[in-house]
Amino acid sequence: MSLDLFMRLNTLACSLVLLMGIAILWRNSLPAYIDSFARQSMFFVMGILTVAVYTRAWELYLVAFMVFALKVVFIPRLLHRARKQVGADIEIRPFVNTPASVLLAGILTLLAYAVAQPIVALSDLPTRGSIPLAFAVIFVGLFITASRRSALTQIVGFLVMENGIALLAVLATYGVPLIVELGVFLDVLLGFLVMQVFLYRIRGTFGTIDVDGMRKLRH
Amino acid sequence: MLLILPLTGALVSLLNPRQRLTGLIGAVLAGAEFVLCLEISRECLTRHVPAYGSGAFLRADALSAVIALIVSGVAWISIWFGVEYMNHARSAGHIDDSGIRRYYVLTHLFVFTMLLAVTANNVGVMWVATEATTIATALLIGLQHSKSSLEASWKYILIGSVGIALAFIGTVLGYFNFFEHVGATDFALNWTVLSQVAPKLNGDVLRLCFVFILIGYGTKAGLAPMYTWLPDAHSEAPAPISSMMSGSLLVVALYSILRWKVVVDARLGGAYSSRMMVVIGAFSVAVAALLLIRQASYKRMLAYSSVEHVGLMCLGFGLGAGGAFAALLHMLGHAAAKSLMFLLSGSILAKYRSTRISSVRNLIGIMPWSGCLFFIGGLALLGMPPFSLFLSEFMILLAGFRSRQPWLMGFILMLLLVIFVSVLGYLNRILHGKPPENVAVGDLNRGGLLALSLNVAALVTVGLMYPPPLVQLLRQAAEIVQR
Repeated sequence: MSLDLFMRLNTLACSLVLLMGIAILWRNSLPAYIDSFARQSMFFVMGILTVAVYTRAWELYLVAFMVFALKVVFIPRLLHRARKQVGADIEIRPFVNTPASVLLAGILTLLAYAVAQPIVALSDLPTRGSIPLAFAVIFVGLFITASRRSALTQIVGFLVMENGIALLAVLATYGVPLIVELGVFLDVLLGFLVMQVFLYRIRGTFGTIDVDGMRKLRH
Repeated sequence: MLLILPLTGALVSLLNPRQRLTGLIGAVLAGAEFVLCLEISRECLTRHVPAYGSGAFLRADALSAVIALIVSGVAWISIWFGVEYMNHARSAGHIDDSGIRRYYVLTHLFVFTMLLAVTANNVGVMWVATEATTIATALLIGLQHSKSSLEASWKYILIGSVGIALAFIGTVLGYFNFFEHVGATDFALNWTVLSQVAPKLNGDVLRLCFVFILIGYGTKAGLAPMYTWLPDAHSEAPAPISSMMSGSLLVVALYSILRWKVVVDARLGGAYSSRMMVVIGAFSVAVAALLLIRQASYKRMLAYSSVEHVGLMCLGFGLGAGGAFAALLHMLGHAAAKSLMFLLSGSILAKYRSTRISSVRNLIGIMPWSGCLFFIGGLALLGMPPFSLFLSEFMILLAGFRSRQPWLMGFILMLLLVIFVSVLGYLNRILHGKPPENVAVGDLNRGGLLALSLNVAALVTVGLMYPPPLVQLLRQAAEIVQR
């Protein structure tokens, strides 16, 4: 794969990852959130594959496979099942409304470019141009977690953030050492499963997954 | 070898249906872990750093040894106390058999992850272990399925995971920095390797890296303004878990920050990281002082006290070598005192069936031994002599004056005074007054009280006699943090 082709494909994949993240902000149905996350993970896998092909690193193929299995297949399936069992379909009245959210996403992307500047300056990898995009995904994920009412959307926001961080690792250092990669994979899996358990419990105890109802503990 | 023990404990708890036996085995194992940590400390004192595995995968230098001591010590006392406490909870119907089994399994796993975090050489593995502690403790907080504990554990796992994710960004940036200068090697994330290479790393990226590390791990440590999960989580968790979280988990998170501080300082000099830690530490103490003024629940009061003390520790680490030593001493003292208080709060809850300070009166009369210990623990937390916290707080202030920050130290002193007045008021209300009706007189959990007397003994011994081996170990650890 030529350098030029690699850079273009990689940038395309990363931009689509960011786009899917922002897509979550302008839609307001929970099935759409889960699907956007699944698509985002798919584009992320493609991004990893471009790097894997270019650098001929076998570990990255393994990582791509793990991310695919976990974030494109397993987690979205569980999320959809949880969504149907909990019976939540629409995000009603998020803490920040849709136009403001999308605008803020734009500002966060600019912020990402500012924050990533020293990193891009230092790096000499061909993927460095997309590093700010990874940061933007992280910030957008954070924003989703903080501004949405439904516990399920908060989980999705956290997963988007994790995608962004993993993307950063791939872009900046062609992935972290394998043992750390495995550990992170396990952590995300376990963390997600535990959050799922809590999601069911919240539904069972409060009758809704609207986190605004959980305000009993105050100071 | 140390790590096998808590894993065995978890396995035993999983397989053994007999609750009483499981609890006792757990307490014994925890005691053995503590003894092993003492052994590791002894080895460190002889200047030999125990390491294990290829490329020193597990490595325990003086700093690890100190934290491991704290973790295993608090775990031992808490598990010991927890045996009777959980039995009581089960007979009172608060929790069922499967809940108790989950408690034991998760507690041992929790200890395992904490010990792994402090003995791992690889900062990536350290990260993985820290995230694992979040998962284990989130399940433990929500052990008793009540509305408030569910809210607390949800907030905890969400905020905790976000914080840990930020810490991972910092880790990736650190690795990236290394990668740019040295290339990908197998042991790149070993912090021993990182600190050696540090002077050659890029300063700007390292600055950014430390910001993410401080905010990320600081979230787990309970520093302001990321502490919001702490009062909920520590007050809703069962007493032995709160004591372990306040006593050791917060300290483990600080440890992670310290490991990175060493790397960053090697390149940027101490000023950058110290300044940030001083600011965040002081801010945490201020927030805690303000929020302690009006507290309705004694468990939340203890939780905010943890925020205060962690703030003091963070402050100490930013104040030079003397401050680092004092902060380490403070970690020890706080672990002993806070675990004592949280475990006793469990007894109080079991006896008075309320978490409100207004409902708890005349503790001295109703539970004489517990009340006495509670009073002692409260005094210790307030920094009274002859307990070690007095020494460590004094030393932190001294270090502050030595670093030419008299105004800041004056501010801290004032905050400590505010906290003193607030907490003393709460203590007074809890210990004295007219006893409420339909509360039976008599101490609960005599066996556990024996464990707590060890805490008091530790506080007094360190505070009064300042044992040389301990001081030597702390000094070595402080040297690692602040060259």
